[in-house]
Amino acid sequence: MLQQNPPLRRLLPIALGGLLVAVLVVASLAVLLYDPSGEAGNRLPENFQYDLSAFQKIDPALIRYRQAAEIPLELKQPRGIAAGREDQILVAGDRAVLIFDSHGKKISQIDLADEPRCLAVAGQDHAVPGRIYVGLKDRLAVFDAADAPPKTWETRGLKAFFTSVAPAEHDVFVADAGNKIVWRYDVQGKLLGRIGDPGPDGNIPPFIVPSPYFDVAVSPDGLLRAVNPGRFQIEAFTFDGFLEQTWGLPGLEISRFCGCCNPSALAVLPDGRIVTGEKGIARVKVYNAEGKFQCVVVGPDVLTPTPAAVAESRDEHRLLPVDLAADRQGRILVLDPAARRVRIFVEK
Amino acid sequence: MKRLRRVPCPRLRGHGKCRKRRSLPTRAWAGHRIGVGILFIVFLCISCRISPAAERFPPPDFTDHQLPATQAPAAPSPVYEYADLAFLIAALGLASYLAVRRRSRRGLFVLGIVSLAWLGFWREGCICPIGAIQNVTLAAFNSTYVLPLTVAAFLALPLIVTLFFGRTFCAAVCPLGAVQELVALKPLRVPPWLDQALGLLAYVYLGLAVLFSATGTAFLICRYDPFVGFFRRSMGADMLVFSLSFLVLGIFIGRPYCRYLCPLGVLLGWFSRISQWHVKIPPDRCIQCRLCEEACPYGAIRTPTTVQPPADHRRGRRRLALLIVLLPILIVLGFGLGWMLRQPLARLNPTVRLAERFYQEQTGRVQGTTGATDAFRNTGRPADALYAEARSLLGSFGLAGGLFGAYVGLVVGGKLIYLSVRRRRTDYQPDRAACVSCGRCFWYCPAEQALWKNNPAACGLATMPEKT
Amino acid sequence: MDNPPTTPNRRRFLATALRAAGALGLGGLTAGLAAKRGRTGEYVWQLDPQKCIACGNCATYCVLDESAVKCVHSFAMCGYCDLCTGYFPPEPIEQRTGAENQLCPTGAIQRAFIEDPYFEYRILRDRCIGCGKCVKGCSAFGNGSLYLQVQHDRCLNCNECAIAVACPSQAFRRVPADDPYLLKVRGKQA
Repeated sequence: MLQQNPPLRRLLPIALGGLLVAVLVVASLAVLLYDPSGEAGNRLPENFQYDLSAFQKIDPALIRYRQAAEIPLELKQPRGIAAGREDQILVAGDRAVLIFDSHGKKISQIDLADEPRCLAVAGQDHAVPGRIYVGLKDRLAVFDAADAPPKTWETRGLKAFFTSVAPAEHDVFVADAGNKIVWRYDVQGKLLGRIGDPGPDGNIPPFIVPSPYFDVAVSPDGLLRAVNPGRFQIEAFTFDGFLEQTWGLPGLEISRFCGCCNPSALAVLPDGRIVTGEKGIARVKVYNAEGKFQCVVVGPDVLTPTPAAVAESRDEHRLLPVDLAADRQGRILVLDPAARRVRIFVEK
Repeated sequence: MKRLRRVPCPRLRGHGKCRKRRSLPTRAWAGHRIGVGILFIVFLCISCRISPAAERFPPPDFTDHQLPATQAPAAPSPVYEYADLAFLIAALGLASYLAVRRRSRRGLFVLGIVSLAWLGFWREGCICPIGAIQNVTLAAFNSTYVLPLTVAAFLALPLIVTLFFGRTFCAAVCPLGAVQELVALKPLRVPPWLDQALGLLAYVYLGLAVLFSATGTAFLICRYDPFVGFFRRSMGADMLVFSLSFLVLGIFIGRPYCRYLCPLGVLLGWFSRISQWHVKIPPDRCIQCRLCEEACPYGAIRTPTTVQPPADHRRGRRRLALLIVLLPILIVLGFGLGWMLRQPLARLNPTVRLAERFYQEQTGRVQGTTGATDAFRNTGRPADALYAEARSLLGSFGLAGGLFGAYVGLVVGGKLIYLSVRRRRTDYQPDRAACVSCGRCFWYCPAEQALWKNNPAACGLATMPEKT
Repeated sequence: MDNPPTTPNRRRFLATALRAAGALGLGGLTAGLAAKRGRTGEYVWQLDPQKCIACGNCATYCVLDESAVKCVHSFAMCGYCDLCTGYFPPEPIEQRTGAENQLCPTGAIQRAFIEDPYFEYRILRDRCIGCGKCVKGCSAFGNGSLYLQVQHDRCLNCNECAIAVACPSQAFRRVPADDPYLLKVRGKQA
């Protein structure tokens, strides 16, 4: 056939050559367009993306506190903060307790034999005023004065995971996230009772503590305030363990508690108002004693961990939630472990 | 592991972490030191696994519920890798036998299909001797990379076999060769000048592959493998177009990948040049029918030379002398050019790219961040460490790029010299470097056919297959 | 051939010498590398969950249509929350298990009540595509017990892993095939 058709025979090599060149061009284009570097992003549809940025914005009108000062900390892992009898600022972390005066000048330091997890200072009304309680993982170390040798109270066992201490007049309450219970001690370290058990009627819900963030505080109305993070609630107990009050709702809305177990920190102002700290979307807020949302102290724009902090927390996947304390002047002390500093907030 | 180990082993904290253990075997330790090392690792593992468990925040105490185990299906048994190795050895032996001794084109063809099925479609193209070049290179330059023995053997065995029998690996063992062997339906004759020029591409590709694997940047050969997507039966659209183009090309140009790109082909070609028992077209009875030349789809048959007029001879000599003088100049030029190209070459390295982008973001030259720079910020590593690493990489790229350029200069100059040297040939014979021992030449040779017809037993063939 | 008769011999000798050198060299190379290796067994790809930022590239850059990377769950780390941010979107419509309330776009997480107040979450491997959305949700608020791992029943163990090339945090590395996971919690109750 081809022999009988000379023009076609002449055209064939040209056509073939053209085809081959075209194929080469297409192949080179494909190679050039092929981008294995991943810089184009995951190219997944919208519903596969996770984005919290919309929830991180806070209406500035709600923020009624301003940062008055901050104290940089030379601690790798600051864990707890407390306000002293004369408004000193105490920070625990890295086997030490640092003591600053109310202006942030370092006064002294207590060295510890073990990692501290939480910290409290007894007020004027306590049986031993000014006593420093340092929660180690499973026991309390008690310092009657900054330079006194510590007394160590008995351990609560392997499962114990102390996350908060709250001294009252004759009692000391310790939140134990491992056992999901609040222990009540007398000032000598004798165990008096447990808070968080179902009670005689079985109507007290248990503490749901999915992660080692479980905070308690004693409020001026003589009740023990405890966070129930799994229920997104603040609960108020009598010292004998009767549940008096609960409030709090889950949700991203500013008046609610976000995430899957929040709030992670709690403090009580001298006038009885309650300061809460959340992890995930880091925000510190103030509620009145009945649980009505009042204002925001500081939001994620300030408290979101810096990259360096994220890196160092990665191994243990610690979210680095804030710890809170309030002093006699009503200042709110925020321990920002991500930034390794104490931020002091006063009302605008 | 890492998490648990941190707490009780503060000495491990700063350096190495898990990677330390993984990379231990990479140094040529004396036996007893390995033993001590292993004991030490075992001790570390034991001591680190016991105590810190209490450190972890405990899960709830369920009254009657067992915590399930994390899904972690086992890796495929290494038996497969050893089976591949056994297959490779068997196939190489059989291919050499079929090509050199039994001279059976049909046998080679069938073996090629079997290899394609095994190494290609069943084992999905990974482990392959072509790609193994990169692993061996990386192992030579990076002391933390551990080279699996099977991979080393996958590179070494075809090369050793080629030293003795020519490129029988290409003929019937390589799955990439087999694919192209199947699609070579209408091979056209590539003009020799183009054939030689395109042949240089493979050298360049080999150089690039070595350059990028030596610097730990990329495995180019794997990334741009045109057929592995078919073997896996899944690939992106861009690579599909690329692969299909190669198939279409392969219909009209015999084995385009093997001849113009395959980096292993370059090495095999050199080894084949000194092979002991390379396939031959029966030379004693050559009737100059040129059928072998026509039959070879790969342009690998060298024709007998004609007598050269003395004037040409003199001119050829002058040209050769000039080229030999030119060679060092080409090498130096290539070195310089390669060194100048270090920046674009280094841009393929993820660390260099990250450092560059990070620097631009930090200095406000670009807006926004990329996933890579976000991830880098997340690590909390100081930027200076990144810049230092990138600078040192850029330094290695300077040297490596220069060497690569010099190598390209050498290759180009060498090729020109090679083409200028006249060889005398009286017969049609396969070019040992280019011949892939596919067997078509002697299969179509009338002299060989006559031989078989007269004495089938002489060639080890009981029955003569019909030839068209 | 009209060469002097010595030439082919010399040439043959040279070729034999080169062959011997080549064979010895290659044998030596293989043996040397084998000695340097120091351990038997193969290497496979795995991603380090401590480096992973759950960018989602694992889902799309794998050479397999359905990625070899999938989410895994370290049950010993989980908080067993009712309101799990790896399971529910940040602002769930309703705290039920309906698809419209789930974070996972493919519905690959199964929620089961264990006892008050705990819920267990399991990954349905067949549905998971390794996008890492739940990983982000879990680590944003929770304990980080959900994370991505290369599943070795699926991984082809490519010589150059396409996801490793596309990984922005360079979290992929080769690990020994006999210990092919980088789990956050090791041991029996992982």
